[in-house]
Amino acid sequence: MMDRLKKAGRFLCSMKCAVILLVILALACTAGSLLPQGQTAAYYTANYAESLAGAILLFRLDDVFHCWWFVGLTLFLCANLLACNVLRFPALMKRMKEGFTAVKRIAGWDGVPATVTAEEPEEIFRKLGFRNVTRGVMAAAKVAQTGGAETFVPSAAEAAPVSADTAAASVPTRYAVRHRAGIWGAWLCHLGMLVVIAGFGLGQMFQVQYSVYGVPGQTKPVGDTGYTLRIDDFQVKLREDDTVEQYETAVTVSGNGTAGETGTVSVNHPLTLHGMKLYQNSTGWAANVQIFKDSELLQEGVICAGEYALVEDMEGLAVVLNAFYPDYVRGADGMPMTASPALNHPGYLYTLYYHDQILGMNVLTEDEIITVEDYGIRFTDPQQYTLIQVKRDPFTPLAAAGGLLVMLALVLAFYLPPEEVWAVQREDGTWALAGKSRKAGAYFLEELAKYGAKPPVVTEDDLAARQE
Amino acid sequence: MDSSGFLAIENALFTAVMILYLISMALYFIFFAMKNEKAARIAGWVITLAFVLHTAALIVRGVGAGRLPLTNQYEFATSFAWGICLCFLVFVKKYHFQALGTFVTPVIFLLIGYAAMQSREVRELMPALRSNWLGIHVSTAIISYGAFGVSFAVSLLFLLRQGRENHDFWKKNIPDYDRLDIISYRAVSLGFLFLTFVIITGAIWAERAWGSYWSWDPKETWSLITWIIYALYLHLRLNKGWRGRKAAWFAVIGFVCVLFTYIGVNTWIPGIHSYA
Ligand code: HEM
Repeated sequence: MMDRLKKAGRFLCSMKCAVILLVILALACTAGSLLPQGQTAAYYTANYAESLAGAILLFRLDDVFHCWWFVGLTLFLCANLLACNVLRFPALMKRMKEGFTAVKRIAGWDGVPATVTAEEPEEIFRKLGFRNVTRGVMAAAKVAQTGGAETFVPSAAEAAPVSADTAAASVPTRYAVRHRAGIWGAWLCHLGMLVVIAGFGLGQMFQVQYSVYGVPGQTKPVGDTGYTLRIDDFQVKLREDDTVEQYETAVTVSGNGTAGETGTVSVNHPLTLHGMKLYQNSTGWAANVQIFKDSELLQEGVICAGEYALVEDMEGLAVVLNAFYPDYVRGADGMPMTASPALNHPGYLYTLYYHDQILGMNVLTEDEIITVEDYGIRFTDPQQYTLIQVKRDPFTPLAAAGGLLVMLALVLAFYLPPEEVWAVQREDGTWALAGKSRKAGAYFLEELAKYGAKPPVVTEDDLAARQE
Repeated sequence: MDSSGFLAIENALFTAVMILYLISMALYFIFFAMKNEKAARIAGWVITLAFVLHTAALIVRGVGAGRLPLTNQYEFATSFAWGICLCFLVFVKKYHFQALGTFVTPVIFLLIGYAAMQSREVRELMPALRSNWLGIHVSTAIISYGAFGVSFAVSLLFLLRQGRENHDFWKKNIPDYDRLDIISYRAVSLGFLFLTFVIITGAIWAERAWGSYWSWDPKETWSLITWIIYALYLHLRLNKGWRGRKAAWFAVIGFVCVLFTYIGVNTWIPGIHSYA
């Protein structure tokens, strides 16, 4: 039992687990993007084979990104990331403190080809961009014992291994390192991902948002926040060719005993008032509806397309403004449509209800009146309404901070990885140089080789000979 | 000059660029098929010239339109091809590796061909697209996709190298496995870093324009899928057994995802990005 638990624990911390999770998440995202999301069950049964529709509904593929298993997998990935980072932390600390020393490098010098030069290595290292070069000496025994001496001169003709008699002598060394902090790149990237996922997840749980729409002059409540939003002005700015350049709403938000705050919202320029963020989200048509009784104006008010007006005088009688056509014409199929966005010939598509019963549905043009018994209804003064989305997500900054961390961490991981160079003086006074860079590999050594007598090429034969 | 004058110049430049890319592709094929190194040298000059004219075409369009030429499918396709060419030239210069051209030029040509099929009309932008963040978003995408295009070509070479290790032509002109692996890795890491920028700047723009920084729109989702594929590449590469051939396959699949994110999503899946 304990064994199994341990095994499971080890798996949770492993990269293998991360790889499997990422593959499943990628497949889930693929399904979520290819299958229409958030439709009714009837939609899937009508559009897919029975068994496929059944599977879609059973595995919640109709709402992949919010379903329990997707959230579960994401949490699992977070646990994995966290475990991985916690486990690796001590090793990284240790490597940072003790890993970058001449002793570590020169003693463990194995398999890295070297180049030979008569020039003082310090100069070469400086030219390569290394600043602090440490001069040191090392017991020849230490160099020889690790096999380092054989590796630093790869070809047999060059080989001048430290002999047994000189083992006790000390060998001058040079060592330099840069970008040590680079070892934290991947670790910080993982941390950043955790923060992004946490910020996004918490945001999904705790954000609140409301839509407020209306025409200038109207004041509407902002959901249940206790605030109200007054639309002071709404402008649709057109270019010369009648295309829309910008939608702009001037608003005042007040309530909860605070002073009103005023500002302008437009597309791509959200506004923060009373800690709530306001976005210019969309627009549509509204009109003034007038209701007459015996030719006397009984009531009037502005309604937006999609809204209804109740006739105050007669319970159950209502008119819905379904749609508005600024330049109303009948299309080839007889359906109403608009010929242009310009307000040339307004047409109002309405439905008249009496309780649940539809009394009529048609398009009214300007000055036409619907009559029902003693009542007359007409639409006038079409104007565009504005829809403002109001949102409060206290966790957006957290997700943003995570994103920023991931970006910086990637720069660290990819472009500032640790690089080391070192040199050991040979018996004839020349130096054997070598270097190590995880990112540039052979290319880094080539750079180093420019300063040497011989390029550090290791042939397959050299490698084979060394392994024997 | 009015905008139609600029458009006429751009059209002429675009045609010249397309022809030059075609010539350089043919020369790179000759280099590869007939082991003719002179062809590669000439191809290198031709593609550099194509790049210069391509840059000029983009600038002319930008000046004519009075904005960055990065907003519709045509503009993005031609910029995407330009980005691959830029990354290709940088990598060739850095790693002295002309043979890459044989595999990169077809990708460039494919994208330029796709661009040629799109409408070149300069249209005014809807309000949501008028954003500096969008400019940064798309510019970073060009670099990212360009780098992935290069890693795709390098990985194809890696996969094709097998069985040809001892051919003189390959020995002389194509870096060994280790180096191909490093070049591909360098290209993927550049692409991955920039793809991360792309996703983050896209999220910032979406938040400002639509009020939500991530809404699982198909284009967002596919860029995430692409990002995961390359994250897998980076992790699998850490494993000795996976470094090399298997990682190379991931780099190839990753680029197919890049193309799908860019072309496929617009073509087959509706979403708020579809107009872009
Ligand atoms: C969304 C999830 C993840 C992302 C975006 C991510 C990203 C990265 C990146 C960019 C690197 C650097 C690669 C390189 O330098 O070539 C890396 C390395 C690494 N990752 Fe991840 N990773 C993720 C999940 C995980 C998980 C869950 C584990 C846990 C086991 C893990 C384990 C590692 C290890 C061991 C390294 C090597 C570290 C090093 O070189 O210092 N990764 N990761």
